[in-house]
Amino acid sequence: MKKSRLGLMLTVVALAMILATTYLALYFAPLPQTSVGAADQILSSVEGSKIRVAGFVSELIYASNPIISDSHVQIFALADFTDYSRFAEARAHGQLSERWWTINPLVVEVALDELAGYSGPYPPFSLGMNLSAEGKIIYGLLTPNSTVFDHFLTVCSFDKVEVGAGPGEFGLVTAPVAQKIFYFHMPSAWVSYLAFFVTLVGSALYLKTRNAKYDRLAHSSAELGVLFATIAITTGPVWAKQEWGVYWRWDDTKLVTTFILWLVYIGYLSLRAAVPEHGTRARVSAVYGILGFVTVPMSLLSSRIAPLLRSSHPQVIATSRGGLSPEAGLTIGIAVIAFTLLFAAMLIKRVEIAESEEELEELKRVVGGEE
Amino acid sequence: MRAALHLAAKDLKVELRSKEMISAMFLFSLLIVLAFRFAFGEDLDSDPEKMTDLAASALWICFSFAAIVGMHTSFAKEKDRETLEGLLLCPIDRSEIFLGKVLSNLAIVFIVDALSILFFALFFSYDYGGNVAAVILVALVGTMGLVLVGTLVAAISVNGRAREALLPILLIPLIAFSVIVPCVSATRNAMNGDLAESVGEIESIVGFAVIFGAIGYFSIEYVLEG
Repeated sequence: MKKSRLGLMLTVVALAMILATTYLALYFAPLPQTSVGAADQILSSVEGSKIRVAGFVSELIYASNPIISDSHVQIFALADFTDYSRFAEARAHGQLSERWWTINPLVVEVALDELAGYSGPYPPFSLGMNLSAEGKIIYGLLTPNSTVFDHFLTVCSFDKVEVGAGPGEFGLVTAPVAQKIFYFHMPSAWVSYLAFFVTLVGSALYLKTRNAKYDRLAHSSAELGVLFATIAITTGPVWAKQEWGVYWRWDDTKLVTTFILWLVYIGYLSLRAAVPEHGTRARVSAVYGILGFVTVPMSLLSSRIAPLLRSSHPQVIATSRGGLSPEAGLTIGIAVIAFTLLFAAMLIKRVEIAESEEELEELKRVVGGEE
Repeated sequence: MRAALHLAAKDLKVELRSKEMISAMFLFSLLIVLAFRFAFGEDLDSDPEKMTDLAASALWICFSFAAIVGMHTSFAKEKDRETLEGLLLCPIDRSEIFLGKVLSNLAIVFIVDALSILFFALFFSYDYGGNVAAVILVALVGTMGLVLVGTLVAAISVNGRAREALLPILLIPLIAFSVIVPCVSATRNAMNGDLAESVGEIESIVGFAVIFGAIGYFSIEYVLEG
């Protein structure tokens, strides 16, 4: 009785905090901003510099007005092009017109030998450009017949080129409003990892003590973990479509980890549903719960496989590139606490239900005369 | 260990008499060849170069699904004929039973691996770029990881209803990134003659085989209980 009152209290607090999160996310937390500063200064120092763009030539776009000299291909970069929301809008409406390309063009030369092997009819052409305070230039490149930002590269001090997957990777934002979903996405993902971890602990404790209450804990937590993971992997693509131009990316560690963990714990639940006998169910699902939790993160963290993937997922922990404003930080903090409390409340309730279920089964057995 | 060898010998003897699994898996790999031809026939006709890329993936689809069929049977048969109780009554460690099953499964899946590699060579007159030995090496190493985790999961799934469907549901998420992805990439490199580039991947597969083996060895007593 006491426990259920605790659960009720937690639920009320969590729901209130989620309401607060919604309000804060909508009206308090500012839209994310790209740090654009001192663009002119950087421009003047950039002019005429050589940029090495090895490695992605075959994936570059075709431009309608190629400029080729003997030794260099010239790439227009748009100095004025610092507002990505305008670009996103143009992209969405298929209006990437000449107008964009001729505003204050800055000619950047690319050594032709870097383009060796390129067989397209036109030289590559870069469309977008952004200058950040750190003096990095970020290009957006479009592939033919595509309205999707496929490849980005940053130029760091002009001798090192990083190719990225989308503007989000470099702290750029093309669809600021879509970012609001972050306040629900990230807490759900966090709670699902927490829930799967609780399942791991519950499974291990069950195998050690054979106390059915740990089995109930593991089961309930896995169910909630799948629920929150579902929220995380459905809200993520809503944002990704806006920011990356696609719903899903297979080359991203975080997405793939979450997806596979999700599958593993759906497997765990199917296993539980398929094994009728109590003790066996608890034992085998505990072993599988441990196996799954150990294998998946390890295989994706393994340094030998990680290079096959790369992460374009935004970093949650603030980096030197910017990070969260205090308002956004407060909002996300409240959201994380709210979701964690909600998880705790639901877990208490779910364990209670599991207890009642077992009691009911026991009663059925007694009535059925199996005793 | 001797008990494990005895068990494996017993399984293989049963298999040699009935030829149940081998014949099913033999047909299975032939069907994969057929499906491969249906799916990628036009691609291959227009560009024979693609064979290397496609064959590496197709071989591993073949290996992993054939292994799932085989590993499922290894426990399901014991369960159906109620010989599992007999095994459990043996005065040996449960981990010995696990090892025995791993060994017999390995033997059978290796045979299927070899058959599939042969079928691809025969039906597509493909010579693996002259690197058959390297391809077989990767297949052996990868199959070890596959069988070590698969045997444990088969022992788990055999307790459930609809267990034929349960095994792939439980197993595939576990092997996707620990075995299949590195194996496909290593096989592709092997076919191109630069297996040396895949040393890291092979180390990783071996590492996972060790981890899976250890988890299976120590947790099987919880699975095969009662």
